[in-house]
Amino acid sequence: MGFWQRLHRGWGHVHVVTQEPSHMRITSVLVTLVLALGAAGCADEAGTPEGAATGTTGPTETTSESPSPTEGPGGAGQTIEITVAGDTVSPSGERVEVPLGEEVVLEVTADAPGELHVHSTPEQELAYEAGTTSFPLTFDQPGVVEVESHDLGLTIVQLEVR
Amino acid sequence: MTGDLAAVGGIALHGLGGAKDLPISPELAIAGAVAALVLSFTVLAVAWREPRFRGEAGGRPAPAWLDRLASSPALVLGLRVLGMALFLYVGFAAVFGKNSLVNPFLGVFYVWVWVGLVPMSLLFGPFWKAISPARTINAVFARLSGGDPEEGLYTWPARLGYWPAALGLFAFVWLELVYPNSTELGSVRLWCAAYLGVMLVGGSLFGNRFYEHADPFEVYSTLVGKLSVFGQRDEPDGTRRLVLRSPMANLDTVEVRPGLVAVVAVLFGSTAFDSFKDSSPWIRFVQSSEVSSTLLDNLALLAFCTGVGLVFAVASMATGVHTGMLRSSLPDTFAHSIIPIIVGYIVAHYLTYLVEYGQTTLIQLSDPLSRGDDWLGTADLSVNYWLSLHPTFLANTKVLGVVVGHVLGVVAAHDRAVRLLPARHQLTGQLPLLLAMVGFTTGGLYLLFAA
Repeated sequence: MGFWQRLHRGWGHVHVVTQEPSHMRITSVLVTLVLALGAAGCADEAGTPEGAATGTTGPTETTSESPSPTEGPGGAGQTIEITVAGDTVSPSGERVEVPLGEEVVLEVTADAPGELHVHSTPEQELAYEAGTTSFPLTFDQPGVVEVESHDLGLTIVQLEVR
Repeated sequence: MTGDLAAVGGIALHGLGGAKDLPISPELAIAGAVAALVLSFTVLAVAWREPRFRGEAGGRPAPAWLDRLASSPALVLGLRVLGMALFLYVGFAAVFGKNSLVNPFLGVFYVWVWVGLVPMSLLFGPFWKAISPARTINAVFARLSGGDPEEGLYTWPARLGYWPAALGLFAFVWLELVYPNSTELGSVRLWCAAYLGVMLVGGSLFGNRFYEHADPFEVYSTLVGKLSVFGQRDEPDGTRRLVLRSPMANLDTVEVRPGLVAVVAVLFGSTAFDSFKDSSPWIRFVQSSEVSSTLLDNLALLAFCTGVGLVFAVASMATGVHTGMLRSSLPDTFAHSIIPIIVGYIVAHYLTYLVEYGQTTLIQLSDPLSRGDDWLGTADLSVNYWLSLHPTFLANTKVLGVVVGHVLGVVAAHDRAVRLLPARHQLTGQLPLLLAMVGFTTGGLYLLFAA
């Protein structure tokens, strides 16, 4: 929202500094740029649920044993349905946003036993049977986590944890 | 094969490391792109009209104690021993360790060496040259046989220039980014053995000149080291002295040789490809295509590297020149200006990887055989994930890295243009190159946003 105004102010500075010697001008412009980026960053900071993450000392993925899919409000991002049939997977490389620190359930429906690789930090390997298996996961560290079928060599879904 | 891999935790699809960085916000990407554009034209409009950088002549002599320290046998030998010790230790893990992602050989090779040589060279200059195991072994052989490691059987053919290094760098990024077994111990070990073999044969044929032109790590490290404050200069008395220069003045001393543009194109194009290959649209395309995904990745990596090289070559040649000046010499002459852009990209793409997987590697290094040893006392350390836990700070740092690298690149190209181009072409002659650089930077920011 305030972004364009900030940029505009940045432009203003560029015009002002053109009176100085050349290398000074470039330095000033760089300083202005750093300030503008910093301001953009501060604005984003408020929207990032960092407080939730900074409390943890390291990555701790909790994989609870009870396979009970929870249908959260809005559906998307809460339960991700994964189908593995023959040598195809669904979804196939899509990006899904997952809230930091909240539970997400991977519900795997497969025609044969196999294994999912969850490239969180640290990595997790989830073995499933033929039929439907649910894996509740919680991610405490922001980042993009790829979920892959190792047996098929396919990326199923990318979880954008933020 | 598959079961075997799973049993040892081998993960074929994915490189090393766990979660990847979040994409940057669109606001930040636009802010970065606008800043790059504005700053570029500001440089063009207001910067100096007479060249300021003076190549080798620039800079001032380092204090005598620093010069003595830098050339002291103790430091030179110490660095060689350090490089050789790490090489032997990691070689031991590569030969006797397990085929597993926790084998420290992989982390040292992909993270400490490949990514770590950038900050080390930025700080200290040509770092790989100082620790290179190939140079050390070559020097030992030369001493044993009573020869001089500088001299080989043949002189290095000048027209080859940096082309062999460009080829070697491509072989590395191919292994890291395209080859499906890039984290299989055997594959990486084979690559390293081939590398070392070529280096030792080359060194005995052409002497140390070979490493300056053909060792991919040394060429990369020495080029990045030109952004450090340390340089050398031939003095009138025939000695070579340590001089201190501003990074930009030091960058001006990059030796222009054939193939330089290919080296920077591979470094730059492959980093962009690394971002691109993990983006959801590319993965969806590859997985829905009938064509083998490895083939598509190969083609895409090649397209990124040659694309960058061609765009840069065409843009740098699109200017009027003095009569008698070969236009085809311009791409290599201006290629040094891409180096800061590469460093900015490396910050943007590999900072978390270096900091966090670098720590993981230090921990793993204590247990080279993956059986629970603690040889170095680092096994019980834990990784500090501060950077990943502050995604906004990380995103700002990345964009700042890209934009600062871009501006330094533009400044370097500007200075070279006002020195080389005829006065009436200095402004218009720079425009195509400037636009190409803006294109690279906005493209890079777009990838950071879309990846």
